[in-house]
Amino acid sequence: MKTVHLLLPALALAGQLAAQDLKAFEKRVTEFSLANGMHFIVLERHDAPVVSFHTYVNAGSVDDPKGNTGLAHMFEHMAFKGTESIGSTNWPAEKAAMAEIERRYDALDAERNKLAKADPAKLKKLEEALGEAVEKADSYVVPNLYPRIIEENGGVGMNASTGEDSTNFFYSFPANRAELWFYLESARFLHPVYREFYKERDVVREERRMRIESDPQGKLMEAMVSTAIAAHPYRVMPGGWASDIENLRVSEAEKFFSRHYAPGNITIAIVGDVAPARMRALAEQYFGRIAKRPLPDPVLTVEPEQDGPKRVEVASPSQPIEFVAYHRPDQHDKDDPAFDVVAGLLAGGRTSLMYTDMVRDKKISLEAGAVATFPGGKYPSLFVFYLIPGAGHTAEDNEKELDTIIAGLQKDKIDDAAMARIRTRTRASLIHQLDNNSGLAQLLAEYYVNYGDWRRLFTSIDEIDRVTADDVQRVARKYFVPTNRTVALTYQPPEPADAPAAGGAQ
Amino acid sequence: MKHQTLISLMMLAALPALAQQPAAPSAAPPKPSVPPSYKDLKFGALRPVQIPKVEETTLPNGMKVYLLEDHELPLVRGVALIRTGNLFDPADKIGLASITGELIRSGGTPAKSGDQIDEELENIAASVESEIGESSASVSFSTLKERTAEVLATFHDILTNPAFRQDKLDLVRTQVHGSIQRRNDEAHGIAEREFVAAVYGPATPFGWRIEHATIDNITRDDVVAFYKRYYFPANIILAVHGDFNAAEMKAALEKQFVDWKATQPPVPAFPKVETQAKPGIRFATRTDVTQTSFALGHLGGVLNEKDYPALEVMADILGGGFHSRLFQKVRTQLGYAYQISSSWGANFDHPGIFEIAGSTKAASTVETLKAVYSELDRMRTQLVTEEELQSAKDTVINGFVFNFDTPSKTLNRLLTYRYFGYPDDFIFQYQKAVQQVTRADILRVARQYIDPAKFVIVAVGNPKDFHTPLTALGPVTDIDLTIPGSATSPSSTTADQSVAPAAASAPAAPAPSPDAIASGRELLARLAEALGGEAKLAAVKDMTQKADMVLDASAGGLRAAQTEIWLAPSQYREEDVLPFGKIVSYYDGANPAAGWMFTPQGLGAIPPQEQAQIAFELFRKWFPLMLSARDAGRTVTEKEGRLVIADQQGNSVEIAIDPATGLPASESYPQAGAPANKILETFTDWQETAGVKLPRRIAIMQNGKHFADLRVTGVEINKGVTAEQISKKP
Repeated sequence: MKTVHLLLPALALAGQLAAQDLKAFEKRVTEFSLANGMHFIVLERHDAPVVSFHTYVNAGSVDDPKGNTGLAHMFEHMAFKGTESIGSTNWPAEKAAMAEIERRYDALDAERNKLAKADPAKLKKLEEALGEAVEKADSYVVPNLYPRIIEENGGVGMNASTGEDSTNFFYSFPANRAELWFYLESARFLHPVYREFYKERDVVREERRMRIESDPQGKLMEAMVSTAIAAHPYRVMPGGWASDIENLRVSEAEKFFSRHYAPGNITIAIVGDVAPARMRALAEQYFGRIAKRPLPDPVLTVEPEQDGPKRVEVASPSQPIEFVAYHRPDQHDKDDPAFDVVAGLLAGGRTSLMYTDMVRDKKISLEAGAVATFPGGKYPSLFVFYLIPGAGHTAEDNEKELDTIIAGLQKDKIDDAAMARIRTRTRASLIHQLDNNSGLAQLLAEYYVNYGDWRRLFTSIDEIDRVTADDVQRVARKYFVPTNRTVALTYQPPEPADAPAAGGAQ
Repeated sequence: MKHQTLISLMMLAALPALAQQPAAPSAAPPKPSVPPSYKDLKFGALRPVQIPKVEETTLPNGMKVYLLEDHELPLVRGVALIRTGNLFDPADKIGLASITGELIRSGGTPAKSGDQIDEELENIAASVESEIGESSASVSFSTLKERTAEVLATFHDILTNPAFRQDKLDLVRTQVHGSIQRRNDEAHGIAEREFVAAVYGPATPFGWRIEHATIDNITRDDVVAFYKRYYFPANIILAVHGDFNAAEMKAALEKQFVDWKATQPPVPAFPKVETQAKPGIRFATRTDVTQTSFALGHLGGVLNEKDYPALEVMADILGGGFHSRLFQKVRTQLGYAYQISSSWGANFDHPGIFEIAGSTKAASTVETLKAVYSELDRMRTQLVTEEELQSAKDTVINGFVFNFDTPSKTLNRLLTYRYFGYPDDFIFQYQKAVQQVTRADILRVARQYIDPAKFVIVAVGNPKDFHTPLTALGPVTDIDLTIPGSATSPSSTTADQSVAPAAASAPAAPAPSPDAIASGRELLARLAEALGGEAKLAAVKDMTQKADMVLDASAGGLRAAQTEIWLAPSQYREEDVLPFGKIVSYYDGANPAAGWMFTPQGLGAIPPQEQAQIAFELFRKWFPLMLSARDAGRTVTEKEGRLVIADQQGNSVEIAIDPATGLPASESYPQAGAPANKILETFTDWQETAGVKLPRRIAIMQNGKHFADLRVTGVEINKGVTAEQISKKP
């Protein structure tokens, strides 16, 4: 009784705030689409003379063609390589040299494709010839000029990311340099160049080594998704498979760009000290140059229902880690908000079920938590628990405790106080996200693309409000069942007898 | 296939253009064309930034306060910076500072356990956090505007009166043991840790690390003493930012902190860096990775030295971003690395580390390091180009506005400058100095400050796949990754001592030592003094106290209006008004048989368990309890800083003393009649009546879980209660 009484004013208050924020925001938002389909959302914030830009491409690693995993990520890297005029000392000569690389690569591939019948001597010669062509093309390059222009002009937070569902490019400029952004951003998506492609491919390969191969959690995560998901492209992480990356070609990247970077597949959010009319004029001027292209098809593969528990173990000298994953529907399913609430109840903060039980009271975990939607939301995906056992505890005893918690969620209804707490937190966390240009730009674009309306950023909390304790129980009973489950955990292999003793000195 | 796809795409792309054609003749003026080069773009002057005005004030207790109004969002955030840090850890108790920082928040306050505070704050989506870093500590809060008053009160209680409950010390210890156990899980983490330790020296406060043994050495008393030494008003600066009126906030802070008057001698300077680094290559083998993580460099400098701007520009040209030489060479041209960077690494108050770090596939480990060395050599022997220098300067100057794009950046900067004693305009001095850096300056500082011969090089990877052995670069020392003390599972058995007072086992315990008796008496005398003095306490003949009691939802959520009457020496009456009726009981310690209990079911004798509880209440009423030294039937001893009082009937209580006020912070005892239950009461809001201080708020925990809250609404002393009144049946 007491707790509920305390909570009511906070709830009512937060409700008002969200409604006010939406109204206040609507006044400051201008939205428009170009004839080619590219969509813009402009939010005025005049507090400081700065502006943040976010380009949201509705294509990610799920769109990687078969055998070309890692391609969406590869293209993201190429987008920093400049344009015909930016980054080249002699574009016609460079273009010809790049074409020569492709011809020599084709010849090399033709020989390689003979597999066992390939002639090693011929291969070696072709590889050398390819290397020479690469060096020739590189001689025309002004390295990293494109990002350097951004940095020299005071651009900050410049980066890009490739996920399963989307590819994102973002940075902020002093407000007087807004037109430079239009210049640079439109140029790279008007005529991308595939400069230094094969060296950048090595960098992309290194990124995979760093994030996946040399990181125990990364390795385990890869094993988890590729075990839990059988058919859908979500089963491959955006980093791709090593051998696929090593064989990526410019022609594949060109095709990928032309299909997935259609202007209608790109949304741009601009937040800061700008005049919307001017932004619109600049958008027409710079991005209006890009011809309309048809939108790519969505992924049609539907993940089949899992019909039994799965378990995968990954050798690792690290202390134990375990992931437990259950299939869940996509972000448009009516149960989507309930999954967010379940994750909040289980793992949101110090009052959550997993923290209080596993970390605080039983002291068997260093960390224990849950992620509602992984690895993406556009298509059916996974609800994932992660368990980091404390010293002297095993993945197995953590898993057992998690099972008890899940069983409790299925058996007993969550009390009103905990449900109210989740709602209050959701509203407050929205308010906390509203004072940062670059974060706002990302959110506006993300909600527009995923739900068709940026207002959803504000109205989605009403859906959280509508989730009941019954929904929580129903979702836990329906989805957290053994046949729908995949467990991935590390194990310590016995020390190999020939382990190098004094490695570096060898 | 391929061609067909391309053609159809082109056709489709052409269609909309055709469709639009008819409209073209009447269309608006043609779109302005795009300039051929980005260099043709002209930028207007940037609108001047509004640098917000920070209001400064000092509270009567000496705490410096900085206030910044910002009404954009309905939020209020604040941070107290405390001058301390883990550099003050004793060598045999490394980890004391960070554990103290954690426990200030998690250990709760006398009135509320940390868990209770977690729940209260999360219910209103607010936070209060505490941490102690290397050379500064903070307690911070964040809240929706409308909750400011209550969050400020919690922030105040945590900052000024943390309770350091034993159960949370046990939890944080378990957590730290767990993270020590995991410190070799990630190769990159190993490289970074070993590098820092090697540069500063593993036996210095800058380079040493927390071990199982140093954690086990830390007691609650150590934590309390660490807190007490550094957390006092004159050692704290407080900044509050957000949606408030500055004058009102100032008044609120003055009121909130008026009673916090703790003083301590000024905090000494942090230890100086006296590097014991031995240059050379150190290597650790990991067979589960495909990349080698590496870090190399040596001691850097401080921010306010004359050459800092030139050094910063130098490190930026060498390895500061997409435009840098290391990025271009190692990543773009060689394709050896995804991550490669350098930083001069200056700190505000002690030398940082000049560091080059990255990772590359095992095969190219030595080749990558060689490329790094060749870039270093170039930096130290040749002038940078005019273009490189201009690019680095432009990056700083054009991006300067982002130091002021949110009001909080200005406030945080001011706070940091004040904390470390830097001038307020340091950032402008820096910007000016950067503009004056010359190519010759860069070459000079690269030669003067960077010495590859003194480099510590740490690499972690799988040597089986190295194209060239690491020894090609020089002699290699292997790093021992053994975690001392990890063979035995760290103890997590210390749990639940929190509310289990030693006195609970008093009957079987050996007789207390003369020392424990002497210091117990001294503690008691001091407590009695703090409560008003023995004379005032002895003068109390009767007391009537009214209170509201609220049980936790988990304990039934009951509310009761309670009236307690005590009449010296041993009569006690309690009246409880409950939702289902009234309960009145009367008890006389001198004549237990005369006691009775009235419930909605009628009048009867007091059941045995209730009788034991009332007898216990009589035993620990403040007035007899604080005068226990005068009672030959009671023993008064000291145990680990706490006061233990027991009688011959088996009643006993353990009192923790609040170091800041000298008043009782909490009492713990086994529940009378149900000794398996451990009760912990924490006291706050002490007010004086008839010259005697009594707590107005009492939080009650049972077996480590919050159980009930008692709010005292009125206390009357010596109002002339008679034996007839106190024993009158309803």
